[in-house]
Amino acid sequence: MGVTIIQQFPMKENRTGAQIIEFLTKRVNALGAKQCGTFLVDCETYASIPQLGAQRTLHVFHNSEQPASVFAILDNGTGKTVPVVADALFDLLLLKMSSVYTSKKSKVEIRGPRFELNDFVIKIGAININHNVKGIIVEAEYRPCVVFGLCWDMLREFLQGFLGSCVSNIPPHYFQNRMNDIFQPLDTIQQYLDHITIYRKATGILQQYNTNTT
Amino acid sequence: MELNPMQVALNTVRTLRLELMQLIIEIGEGVKDDGSQTESKDNRYMYSMNEMVGKLGLHMRDLEQVVGSLSSPPGAMLLYNTSFLTQESTSDRQALYTPLVSSHKWLDKVHKFSSNAVQILSQNSLKKSYYNSSSNKKKRQQSSLHNISPQAVDVLLTNIDRMFPEMSITITRPCASNVVLLVGLSRVLQAIISFKGVMIEWVIVKGFNEPINPNSLQQELWQESRYYVFRKITDHANAAMLHFSSPTLPDLSVRSFMTWLNSYLILFNSVCKSCGNRLLNAYPPTWRDLRSLDTYHYECKP
Ligand SMILES: [Zn+2]
Repeated sequence: MGVTIIQQFPMKENRTGAQIIEFLTKRVNALGAKQCGTFLVDCETYASIPQLGAQRTLHVFHNSEQPASVFAILDNGTGKTVPVVADALFDLLLLKMSSVYTSKKSKVEIRGPRFELNDFVIKIGAININHNVKGIIVEAEYRPCVVFGLCWDMLREFLQGFLGSCVSNIPPHYFQNRMNDIFQPLDTIQQYLDHITIYRKATGILQQYNTNTT
Repeated sequence: MELNPMQVALNTVRTLRLELMQLIIEIGEGVKDDGSQTESKDNRYMYSMNEMVGKLGLHMRDLEQVVGSLSSPPGAMLLYNTSFLTQESTSDRQALYTPLVSSHKWLDKVHKFSSNAVQILSQNSLKKSYYNSSSNKKKRQQSSLHNISPQAVDVLLTNIDRMFPEMSITITRPCASNVVLLVGLSRVLQAIISFKGVMIEWVIVKGFNEPINPNSLQQELWQESRYYVFRKITDHANAAMLHFSSPTLPDLSVRSFMTWLNSYLILFNSVCKSCGNRLLNAYPPTWRDLRSLDTYHYECKP
């Protein structure tokens, strides 16, 4: 896989998520991109029971681009995270652990059309939190390159080409210490988590949940 | 007619064998009764034997003399690729050596003629394409292009390896002595380059993350990249290889080609010299000016 970068596209007051996706679809079609199916990234969040001490949060992801894998990111509350990439059996393991890690009932789904333009893959998705559209996320992948630092400027130019000025000239915070690392599928998931966290904070779901449990 | 000592020696050996055979036949037939009474047949037999043995001794001395004048051959002859002909098992191909040698002689002649022609033509100022500026420098003639020792090729390639710190070169010889080179260029791309002697025959460029089996590079040569950008660069690479190819300075042509390939280090983070953008039709600048190595989109090239 190549380098993937994830970008938010601002919601407009008077437009629905579907309308923005349609609007952006027209733009990428104008660039010559062809639609190749759809994509889905989902995230379910679990919290450890209070008896275990300091609360740990477990985020479990599926990505249609890597259908055989389950990605899990464990956040122990002190800012340290432990990522795990496992196969689909991990989902069954989680069922066994439901007495220790309870689901927060806030399922996040990002789904929408997937496009290909030469070596680029573009995904335009609406982010659904508990079945409410909260925003638009655009994912761009450049498959021939494996190091973020080598192709960031090119990806930025590519995104700015159809998203306009909402794309920052500064690389995403996530890559600041990873400019010269080989890109892994987990790096895509970590970026999704960063964006999901922002949306959740904005909607207050996380705070609401935390006040209920503690 | 003056014959060379080797020919004389061979002739003498032939005469010796003939005479020895006659002597043995004579002995085998024994004393013959031919009816004449003048001399005792035993005496006559003895006489002819004596004569024959005397001649044998004489020719033996001749042979020793002419062999003494022969010079010993100058060490082992290096046959390079042609030595593999001995491994040929089908009988109708075992006689290939002689026509091969004569075709090599012809190739050498063609090479000599063409380098003379180049010299004469280069005086003509009408130039339609780029010219290697160094072609005016003193020519260092390579005696033969098709029969170069593997060691010489190795030396050339390891020197190139040292020239470019970002480039890693693996030399393999999957088939006889011809090199198939696996080049890794930082974390940008990989290239497989097939050589015939010191001439580049074919190039294929692939992405850094495309799997290449180093043990079957010959098969990998036919498998094009899964990425559009590297398929495009493969086309440019074969065009550049032909452009740099020079029958009179083959090692320079290899070095120029590798310098050109090294310029792809900045494939993903370069700006087109003509339009100032990084992307055009979703491609980065894949084309390089063959002299300055400036970066251009293929559509923007001057
Ligand atoms: Zn251009």
